[in-house]
Amino acid sequence: MELKRLARLSMLTAVALIIFAVELQIPNPFPIPGVKLGLANIVTVYAVYRYRAVEVAMLVGVRITLGSLFSGNVMALLYSACGSFLCLLGMLFLKRIIDERHIWIASVFGALLHNTGQMAAALLVTQTPALLLYYPFLVVAGCLAGLFTGLCAQFILPRLKLFEP
Amino acid sequence: MKYKILILIIAVIFSAGVVCSVIVLNMPKKNTVQIKSGGKVLYTFDLGKEKDRTFDVTTADGRNTIEIKDGKIRVKDADCPDKTCVRMGWLRSGAMPIVCLPHDLIIAFTDDDSGVDAIAE
Repeated sequence: MELKRLARLSMLTAVALIIFAVELQIPNPFPIPGVKLGLANIVTVYAVYRYRAVEVAMLVGVRITLGSLFSGNVMALLYSACGSFLCLLGMLFLKRIIDERHIWIASVFGALLHNTGQMAAALLVTQTPALLLYYPFLVVAGCLAGLFTGLCAQFILPRLKLFEP
Repeated sequence: MKYKILILIIAVIFSAGVVCSVIVLNMPKKNTVQIKSGGKVLYTFDLGKEKDRTFDVTTADGRNTIEIKDGKIRVKDADCPDKTCVRMGWLRSGAMPIVCLPHDLIIAFTDDDSGVDAIAE
């Protein structure tokens, strides 16, 4: 990988981490595990549309690892890793179908896949099928959060020349 | 056209989510409550008979302080980083459990009445 690309990628990762750290300070009004706005995913959505699959995977991997260390919640790493993995697979596929003017659609599906991955991980860890009852709430929250982050990414994409690979 | 179909799919998923959420929230309460960790049952209570009290549940990952009061149960305090379980408040819905994912702790209503007194003390 060329150096410039690598530097831009690390910058993006840093931006994502800062957004993540700031969001940690905002109290979450929804007391349901797994529900959050996920502002850092604006960067993920942006990267999915501008960078190669491997590069996005590296960005997300570093972000969730460092992010879980920052928040002091290492157990959350497992859930977010499963969610992010599924979300990335889905979004990298959707990128081929959905063009840049409809990013928010891809983002909503990404958020739904993220919640599905989280749910699968939680089911595996706790062995409690009753957790599935949270899933409807995750779906509703995922649609809204995905819509928001997707729209943000959509507005940013044409304006942000600095991070252009 | 392609996008209309995708938006329609999202709309359907979203509405299904809303409907299911309402159904889950309206499920009736039951009396027997279980506290589980790692798929194993740690405690079983009959909330109708339990005295008001507060106690600690310690798992390999951390501590949760459980409070039972007036036939209701909640997590009063926990040493986990996010405290989602504390902010969930009293166990309300008959279906939706209180979970503390960092500690792998679950408090849920259950149908099973067997062995209530044996484990409760």
